[in-house]
Amino acid sequence: MAIGEPIVRVEDERFLRGEGRFIADYALPRMVEAHILRSPYAHATIRSIGLDQALALPGVHAVLTCDDLPEGLPPIHCRIPTHGDLSPYLQYPLALGKVRYVGEPVAVIVADTRAIAEDAAELVELDFDPLPAVTDPAAALAADAEQVHEAGNLAGRWGFDLGDVSGALEAATFMVSDRFSIQRHTAMPMETRGLLAYYDVGRGLLDIYGPTKVVHTNRNLLATMLRMGEAEIRMIEPDVGGSFGARGEFYPEDFLIPFAAIKLRRPVRWIEDRVEHFAAINHSRDCVFDVTVAADADGIITAFDVKLVTDMGGYIRTHGDVVPSHAGASFPGPYRVRNYRLDAMTVMTNKTPTGTYRAPGMFEANFARERAIDRLAQKMGMERAELRRKNLILPEQMPWHVGTESVKRPTIFDSGNFPLIFDRATDAFGWSLPYQREVDGWKRGRGMCALVEPSGLGPFEGVRIEVDQHGRVQIFSGSSNQGQGHETVLAQIASEVLTVPMEKVRVRHGDTGIITFGGGTYASRTAIIGGNAVYSASISVRTKALDAASRRFGIPVEELDLREGAIWHGLNNEPVAKIGDIARMLMPGNQEILQTPSAGNIPDNDGLVVTSYVRAVSAGAAVFAVHLADVLVDPATGETRVERYMVACDVGRQINPMIVEGQIVGGVAQGLGGTFLEELTYNEEGQLTTGTFTDYLMPNIYDMPPVTSLVFEESPATTNALGVKGVGEVGPSGVAAAVGNAIADALGTSVGLNTLPLTPQRVIEAIGFEVGA
Amino acid sequence: MNKRRVDLTVNNRAVSMMVEPRLSLADALRGELGLTGTHLGCEHGVCGACTIIVDSDPVRGCLMLAVQAEGAEIVTIEGATPVVGLSEIQAALREFHGLQCGFCTPGMVMVLHHLFSNNPVPSDSEIREALSGQLCRCTGYQGIVNAAKAVAARHMHQNVQPRETSQDHRE
Repeated sequence: MAIGEPIVRVEDERFLRGEGRFIADYALPRMVEAHILRSPYAHATIRSIGLDQALALPGVHAVLTCDDLPEGLPPIHCRIPTHGDLSPYLQYPLALGKVRYVGEPVAVIVADTRAIAEDAAELVELDFDPLPAVTDPAAALAADAEQVHEAGNLAGRWGFDLGDVSGALEAATFMVSDRFSIQRHTAMPMETRGLLAYYDVGRGLLDIYGPTKVVHTNRNLLATMLRMGEAEIRMIEPDVGGSFGARGEFYPEDFLIPFAAIKLRRPVRWIEDRVEHFAAINHSRDCVFDVTVAADADGIITAFDVKLVTDMGGYIRTHGDVVPSHAGASFPGPYRVRNYRLDAMTVMTNKTPTGTYRAPGMFEANFARERAIDRLAQKMGMERAELRRKNLILPEQMPWHVGTESVKRPTIFDSGNFPLIFDRATDAFGWSLPYQREVDGWKRGRGMCALVEPSGLGPFEGVRIEVDQHGRVQIFSGSSNQGQGHETVLAQIASEVLTVPMEKVRVRHGDTGIITFGGGTYASRTAIIGGNAVYSASISVRTKALDAASRRFGIPVEELDLREGAIWHGLNNEPVAKIGDIARMLMPGNQEILQTPSAGNIPDNDGLVVTSYVRAVSAGAAVFAVHLADVLVDPATGETRVERYMVACDVGRQINPMIVEGQIVGGVAQGLGGTFLEELTYNEEGQLTTGTFTDYLMPNIYDMPPVTSLVFEESPATTNALGVKGVGEVGPSGVAAAVGNAIADALGTSVGLNTLPLTPQRVIEAIGFEVGA
Repeated sequence: MNKRRVDLTVNNRAVSMMVEPRLSLADALRGELGLTGTHLGCEHGVCGACTIIVDSDPVRGCLMLAVQAEGAEIVTIEGATPVVGLSEIQAALREFHGLQCGFCTPGMVMVLHHLFSNNPVPSDSEIREALSGQLCRCTGYQGIVNAAKAVAARHMHQNVQPRETSQDHRE
C-alpha cells in the first residue's frame, strides 16, 4: 500500500547531495548570456535609448530594444477569464514609448558573460521624460490623477449582490464596520528565475529550459507571439527552487530570451539576480477591504457588505484579476450567510504588476472577515468560537453553493463536516481552557481563524504511463513541480494501483516534449487533478495488462488478478506473467499475440502504455481549516512572539502525510512572514524601497513557533475519484487572521490591528487607541 | 579584464584557477570548477544558500572574492557528500522532511556539517543558532531542526566525540 504512507521523498537525494539541476546549472556550447536593462523610473516617456557605447564594448553581441520587436507583436496574453475587458492594460515584452514601473524591461543586452552584459547596461543612454508616479490606488482614482494608461486608472469594477443585504443591515441587532489593509508582498522563492533558450536553425526547433508551473500554456502563448508551431517549441522544467504562485507565469523575459536566441542564432541564458527579482516578479496581496458584518440578536450572522480595492500595479499580467476575484468569491468563508454584497475595484498604479501568491485572495479575505468577526463577537459579548460555530455551514447543506463565481466558475464547497472539524480543532488546542493572561510583563492572547480553502481548480490534467519489459513504470505528467514533492506523490499513486514498488516508478514532468497537453501546477491542484490522471491511467494500464494476459493465456479475465507486479490466476503459486512480460507482449510488431498483420496500423500492440486526460470538476475540492494561535505581546515595545500554532484541516484523503504536514508547516511560515515582516514599500517617486533581503525580511528560524498540524480524512472530496483535497494553500491562508485576533485578545483592544504587517509600531498604536478610547 | 591566478584546495584537491578579480568565490566554484551544488539565492549575503566551509569556518560564498581564497582550504556540498548515498545529516534531513524545493538545502547541509564536525551533540539552541543565518522559504525550518535534533540524539547515544578538524568524505 503506497497511498497514505509517509514515504520519504524520491526527490530528496539529489538535492541533499547538491546534485539538483537548477536553471543556473544548465549551459550549452556557444552559449551567451543576457541581462535585462530595466526602467529606473516608475513613470516616464521614452525619448531615446542610445546604444552606441554599449554595443562598442568588447564581448557584447547585441542590444535589443522595442525597435527590434517583430511587427504586430501582441502584448502578453492574460490566460484567465477576467471581470470585464482588461486588454488595454496588458504588457508588451519591452516598454513601448512609455514605462510604467521601476523594473520594466526596456532592453536586452546579450554578451559573452553576464558580467559583461551588466557592464554594457551602464553604457546604455536612457533619455526618459519622467512623469508623476501614481503609487496609491486612492490617489489613482482621484479626478485629476495622472493616468497610468489611456484607458484610465480604474481597470475594472464588478461585484455581487446576493440576497437582501440592505434589508439585513437595517434589521441587524449588531453591526461592525471596519477597514482592513493587506500589504504588498510576494512569494519570494529562494531561487530566482532563469531561462536558457536554444534555437536549432537547421531544424527550426526551439528548446527552452527554465519554464515551470504551466509549461504547456506558456509554450502555446509563445508560439502565438513568435508565429511558430506549438510543437516546434519545447519548454523543459529543470529543478525549480520554489514558486508559490509567482514563478512560472509568462513574463516579459519568457518572450525576450527565446526571441534573442532566435535572433542571435546562439543559445542565450538569462539568470535573474535577487534585486532584479524584487522589481520583476509578480507582487501580490496589496488590497483594502471595507467590511460591514451584521448579526441578529441570537448571534446569527445575517450579512457581509464588502468593498474591495486592489492595487494591480502597472500592467495586467497573465493572471488578470484572479486575486481579487478569488477574494470576492470566497469572502463569506465557512459561514452560511446568504446576504452578501461585494463592490470590487481593480486599480492601476506605477508599481510592479501583480499576480498570485499562495492562497491568493484568501489570505487577504480571511484576515478581513475573521478580524471583523472577532470585533462582532466582542460587541455582542459572545465567545468568539461560539459565534463562529453557530454560523458554520452544516454537513447536510453540502454541496454549498456560495452564489458567487470566480474566473467564470461557480464557487461551490463540495463536501465537509465543518462543525465536527471545528470542535476537534478547538478541543485539541484547548481553546476553552483558561490561560494565564500575563507572563513576565507580556500579555498573552488567543486567536483563531476558520476558513475554506478552494483547491484543485483549472480545466484538466494529463498523464501518460508506460510500463517497460523490465516491469519498470514511467510517468509522463503534464503537471509540474517546484518543490512540493509531486514526483513522490504521483509515483505513490501508480505504485499502489500497479502493485509495483516505488523504486520501479519514475516521474517526468513539466516538459512539453513528453506529453501533448498539460495543465500545470497551481491552485493546489496536482495531487487532485494530476493525481487522478495518474490514478485513472494506472487503472487503465492494469485493465490492459489483465486483458492481454487473458487473451494470451486463454484465461477468463475475471479469474486474473494483478498483485506484486505480476498477473496471477486464482490461488496458483506462480504468477501467469510478470507485468514486464505483458509489456513485452504488447510491444508493436511482437509476433506472440499479433493477429495476421493488417495493411494498416496495429492498434492492439501499442505497448503497455496509457494516456489519460482527466477533466477537473470546475469548483474543485474545498478544504475546511481552523487556525489557532497563542501569542505573547510586550505592551511596552509592541514586540510579539507566537507561542504555539495549530492548523486543523480536513483534506479528504492524504496521499503522503509527511508531505501534507510539510506543506502546512511551511505554509504557516509564509503566512507569518506576511503577518509580521514582509512588505514591498514604495516612495512617492515609485521607487521600491524594500528591494533586498536586508529590507524585506522573511521568517528565519527564530521567527518560527512550534507548529502542529492536525489533519483529518473525514470528508473525502466528492469531485474526484481519489477523494483528495489540495493542501498546498491551507498553511498560509489563515495566519494573519488568527494571529491578529490573538494580539487583539492579548491587548483587549477593539480597534487597530487592521493593517498588515503587524509591526511593533502598529501593535503599540492599537494599545494607544485603547487608552485614548 | 586581467585575470589572476588563484591556488587553493577544494574538497581536498589542489586546484588553480585564472579568474577576474571581481569574480565571487561562489561564481568561481560554480563556473570555473563546475561545483554547481553551491547555490546563489541573493548574492548579497543574506540567504545563506551559498554557504561553504573556508578554512574550517562557514562562509558566504557570494561575499568573498575568488582571489581572496588564495591558499584556502574549502569544502563545498560536493565535499561534504559521500561518494554514494547520503551522510548522516543528509539522511536525517530526508527522514524528517527537512527540505522541499531543495535550493537552500546545500547551505543547510554545510552549516550542519560544520556544527556536527565541531560539536557532535549540540543543544537545541546551538542547533538554532547554527541555522539562524540560513533562509528556507519552503519548510518553516521545523523538519530541519527535527533532523538536527535527531542526529544530536543519536550522537549522544553513541557517545560520538568531536573531530580534530572539519573533514571531508572524499579524503
